[in-house]
Amino acid sequence: MTRVLDVQGLTKRFGGLTAVSDISFSVEKGEIFGIIGPNGAGKTTLFNVIAGHYKPTAGRVAFAGIDITAHSSDEIGRRGIARTFQAVHLFKQETVRENLRRAEVIARLNHPFALFSKSKPNGEVELEDVARFVGLGALLDVVAGGLAYGHQKILGIGMAMMVSPKLILMDEPAAGLNPSEKREASTLVRRLRDERGISILIVEHDMPLVMNICDRILVVNQGKRICLGTPDVIKADEKVIDAYLGENYEFA
Amino acid sequence: MKRITTLYAALAVLALVPWFLGNRYVFHIATMITIMTPMAFSMGLMLKLGQLSIAQPAFMGIGAYAAALLSMQLGLPTPAALLCGGLIGGLMALATGPVFLRIKGVYFVLLTYAFGEVIFLIFQEWTSLTGGMSGLYGIPKLSLFGFRLAQTYHYYVLGLVFTVLCFLVLRGIEKSNIGAIIEALNEDEMLSRSIGSNAIAWRVAAYTLSGFIAGISGGIYAFYIGFLSPDPFGFRGSVDLIVINTIGGTGSILGPLLGAIVVVPLPELLREARQYQLLIYGVCLMASIIFIKQGLVSLGRRRGGKA
Repeated sequence: MTRVLDVQGLTKRFGGLTAVSDISFSVEKGEIFGIIGPNGAGKTTLFNVIAGHYKPTAGRVAFAGIDITAHSSDEIGRRGIARTFQAVHLFKQETVRENLRRAEVIARLNHPFALFSKSKPNGEVELEDVARFVGLGALLDVVAGGLAYGHQKILGIGMAMMVSPKLILMDEPAAGLNPSEKREASTLVRRLRDERGISILIVEHDMPLVMNICDRILVVNQGKRICLGTPDVIKADEKVIDAYLGENYEFA
Repeated sequence: MKRITTLYAALAVLALVPWFLGNRYVFHIATMITIMTPMAFSMGLMLKLGQLSIAQPAFMGIGAYAAALLSMQLGLPTPAALLCGGLIGGLMALATGPVFLRIKGVYFVLLTYAFGEVIFLIFQEWTSLTGGMSGLYGIPKLSLFGFRLAQTYHYYVLGLVFTVLCFLVLRGIEKSNIGAIIEALNEDEMLSRSIGSNAIAWRVAAYTLSGFIAGISGGIYAFYIGFLSPDPFGFRGSVDLIVINTIGGTGSILGPLLGAIVVVPLPELLREARQYQLLIYGVCLMASIIFIKQGLVSLGRRRGGKA
C-alpha cells in the first residue's frame, strides 16, 4: 500500500502549552483513518497543523511523498487535499448549485494567471453528478442557508469533492447531526472511499461512528499518542479505556 | 422597459446634458465627474475585497505627476505618458500589495493612510521635480492622433470614454467567474482557501487594477487642468471617495457611478452658501447614511425588484 499522508514527530507548542506532542501516523491510500480523543486532547490542533492553519513547532507532514510541512492552507488545497469544517462553511446566500459551481471555479482559477491557461470548465455534468452522489440532486436550486443542518454539512463534502481531491480531511463531520443524519454521513464517507477512491482522515468526537467506519484509529490524550490500531485493538486497549473511555463505557 | 434599461438610458441622456446647456462651467463639473467616477470605481473595487484603501488618491497623484513629468522632462508623446502614468500607478500597487494586503481591517486602513501620506510628502518636498507646494506648471495639452485636446469638452469626452470603459470592464469582472471568486474570498476566506484559492494573488491583482485605473484618472486630470499641486491627492480625496461610495452604495458597480454624479457637483451647487458648504455636505452625508443605508443603487432595487 502507498502512503497518502505521512505525519512524523509532529509537535505544536503554544507558549508553555504543548498541544500536540511528537505524534506520528500515516494514512494509506484508500483508507478511512480516524483521530479521536477527549476534549482538549489536541485533535483539533493536530488537524489544523495538517490543514496548514498552524505551523508545527517540530515534525513533518508529507502528502504522496511530497513534504507539505508548514504549507499554507491554500497550497495544501491545491495539492489535492480538500477539507470540511466542523462548523458549516458555505456561501449561504447562494443555491446548492452555485455553491458547487463556485467550488469548481475557485479550484480551477486558483490564481489570476490561471485565467490565461486553457483549463476548461468541468461543467454542469460533473456538478450534477456530485450533487446526486451526496444525495442533494433534488435540492440543487435551494438556497444553501435554508437547507437542513445535515444537508448543509453534506454540501460541504460535495464542495470538497468538486476539487477532485485524493484526500479529504474531515473536522467532526457528525457534530450537530441527529442519529439518522449521522447514519447518512457514515454511508457517504464510506462511499467516497469505495466508489471514488478518496482517502479520508476524520477527526471526530462521536465514538460509535468512528468505530463503525474507520479502518484504523489514532487515540490522543493530552497531546500524546495513546494507541493506534484497528477498532478492535482500540476497544481492547487498557490505556484507552483508562484514560479516555472510562471503565463503564459501552461500545456501540 | 426594464428598470435597469431605463437607468442606462437616463445616464446616457444625462451625459449629453452639458451640450444642451453649452456652458463651459457645466463642462468642467461634468469632466470632474468623469475623472472622479473611475477613482470611485477603484476604491469600490477594493471595498469588494473587504478592504478600505486610503491610498487611492496617492495612486492618482502618482499617475498625474508621472504623466506630466514624462511628457515635460522626457518629451514622451502625451498619450504614451498618460498610459505610463497608469502603468506606474499599477506597478506601485503591485509592489506594495503583497505586503499591505496581508493586513486586514483597520490596520490596512492605517497602513494605506500612512502610504498616502508618504507619497503626499514626496509630492510636496521633492520640489526640484514636482515644484512642491507652489505646483507644477506648463503641462502640455494631450494630443491624440495629431489632434490637440485643448477644449474642456474634449477632456469631458475623453473622461467619459474612460469611465464607460472602466464601467464595462469592471461590470464584466463582477458578472464573471472572477467576480464570484472575489466575492467568495470576501465572504468566507477560510472556505475559499481550503478549496485552493490563492487569496493574496487575487487581492494583489485587484489592487493592481485599482492602482492602474487611479493612475490613468490622474493622468487625465493632469493634462486637463494643466497644473499640479499635491492638494487633490491628500487624505481629503480619500474622504470624498468614501462619501461617493457610501452614498452611491457599495454592493454594485453602479453605486460609485451614481454616487459620483451626485457628490462631485455638490460643492459647486453649495458654492453660494460658502460658509455653510461643509455643514450642508455633512448633513447630506448623514441623511443619506441614515435613510438609504444601501446607497442610491438600492432605491431602484427596492421598488423594482433586482437592479
